[in-house]
Amino acid sequence: MIHPIAWLAWLAAVSAALSATRNPLHLTLVLLAIACVGSANTQQRERMLRIPPIPFTTFLVLFSALINALTVHHGAHQLLHLPNWLPLLGGPITAEALIYGGLNGLTLSGIFFAFQIAQHATPTSAIVSMIPRAFYPLAVVTTIAITFVPTTLKQAQHIREAQAIRGHKLDRLRDWLPMLMPLLIGGLERAFALAEAMAARGFAADTAGQQGQRGHAQISIALACLLAGWLLILVWAYDSSGLLLMLLGSLLMGYNFWRISKNSPHTRYRRIPWQHRDSAIILGALVTLLLFLAPLPALDRSALSFYPYPSLYWPSFDPRLAFGSLGLLWPLFSLRGNP
Amino acid sequence: MIHRLLSASIYLLSSLIGISAFLAPFFSQGQGSSASNAPWLLSVVIGLCFLGLLFEVQGPGLSAKSVALLGVLVSINSLLRFAEVAIPGPGGFTPIFLLIILSGYVFGGQIGFLMGAMTLFVSAIITGGVGPWLPYQMICAAWVGLSAPLVQPLAKLLGGPNSKGELFSLIIFGIAWGFIYGAIMNIWFWPYSQGDARYYWSAGISLAETLKRYAAFYLLTSFVWDTFGAIGNALLLGLFGAPVLRTLRRFRRRLDFDYQPTWSQA
Repeated sequence: MIHPIAWLAWLAAVSAALSATRNPLHLTLVLLAIACVGSANTQQRERMLRIPPIPFTTFLVLFSALINALTVHHGAHQLLHLPNWLPLLGGPITAEALIYGGLNGLTLSGIFFAFQIAQHATPTSAIVSMIPRAFYPLAVVTTIAITFVPTTLKQAQHIREAQAIRGHKLDRLRDWLPMLMPLLIGGLERAFALAEAMAARGFAADTAGQQGQRGHAQISIALACLLAGWLLILVWAYDSSGLLLMLLGSLLMGYNFWRISKNSPHTRYRRIPWQHRDSAIILGALVTLLLFLAPLPALDRSALSFYPYPSLYWPSFDPRLAFGSLGLLWPLFSLRGNP
Repeated sequence: MIHRLLSASIYLLSSLIGISAFLAPFFSQGQGSSASNAPWLLSVVIGLCFLGLLFEVQGPGLSAKSVALLGVLVSINSLLRFAEVAIPGPGGFTPIFLLIILSGYVFGGQIGFLMGAMTLFVSAIITGGVGPWLPYQMICAAWVGLSAPLVQPLAKLLGGPNSKGELFSLIIFGIAWGFIYGAIMNIWFWPYSQGDARYYWSAGISLAETLKRYAAFYLLTSFVWDTFGAIGNALLLGLFGAPVLRTLRRFRRRLDFDYQPTWSQA
């Protein structure tokens, strides 16, 4: 199994690559890399994703292209003209707007499926274990909620069957009340029993002590830095000082969470081992991030941008940036090599 | 005293950051190289502000009872969202706000905030809806729960607990959030979209003009969608609100116990 942190790095690289480019050639390469990883992943996971990729992508591309074409009336290649009295929609429908909308749809679809692939490949327990230890009460809430879902579902089915035997039908919205109330009361009874058991074992007895005044003070200062930095950038356009303040705030907050996490002991029953292939995935993600985002003086990233207005043109292609997309393929080798 | 002041400052600063981040485009002049990175910066600011607030909210007062209660309520609400994903309702109709509003109203803003945030998080894990949009959904849903106790003065004025006036005030609150939720969720992408100048933001326009354009954009693209959400909230609160409120209040009384350990020489 690929380590969740490696998946996170892969997701960061995919998101960065998809956000950085609208060039259809480079976008296609990134999407192909996602599709390859997805196909290997689905072979592991019952050969299917919950949402079929091709129909969903087609719908998203068509929908996005249509919305953009109907609302953006710029471009040299006019396809048809809607009456001007129509609010928002009136004006020329252009090929440029249609294509740009379609590209946005492709980007959205890529982000959606990348997250779905990573989520399907990672067990729920691994996702929950990634919640920082500073937030352990919330991790417990998440664990309880996820654990209770099958029980709640089973209870809902029992209630539905019991009501059906009594001749109850779910025709209108108000007919759901005899379903909802027993479900809620049953759930709250379970919460009551669980609360008694947890309180008896002294759960969360030292939460306040672990956070302390120091933690709250640091969070307050971090938030103040963030607010000041944000206002400096967006209202007064002091970019460098604003970014510096925001970075300071982020670091302070990160340090505080790390410090509290360190003081929150917890037991792992099943530790996911870190393997060489995880390092390779992170390396691949770094290559992608470096080539798509990092300020490299020798690399001209103009090939990444594609803005079809005012007139369509053939997109350019840079093989070095294409090489960057290959970094996203590493999970494929790991998934194929370790069924 | 110091702890209370620090806690209040976290709430105040987080709220200011959240409001300024969402409303920043209305005040921004569009200059500066960071303007092009604004969506990324916005995500970072919102994410960190949300983490700070979550850290504060999960702290004092979140006992074992609250954790168990939240876990089970979030589980039920996630199941409702699962049903909504399987059988989508019309427009923005969603059943999840019923329990978020009512638990925030009965158990307080802290539980309401966590109920909103955790419902979206857990249901995203269950339905495969994890994505970059999740923090925005979580913070907006959390605000719904956090603000639910604000209905109490109006409810008291209209007749107090278990009265029709209380239900009426909750319905009004549900309708309002049906529209506000959509309006807030639009703001994070609206200023960075391009299109007809009558409906989209552009650098250098006045606050009044920005509000006018956003209102026009909202009315044309989101109003009908959000109307279904608002009507759905009103219907669900009207039909199920009274019995759910009675049940939640009954369990609030039952959960009002405390263990006092005793020591014996034996």
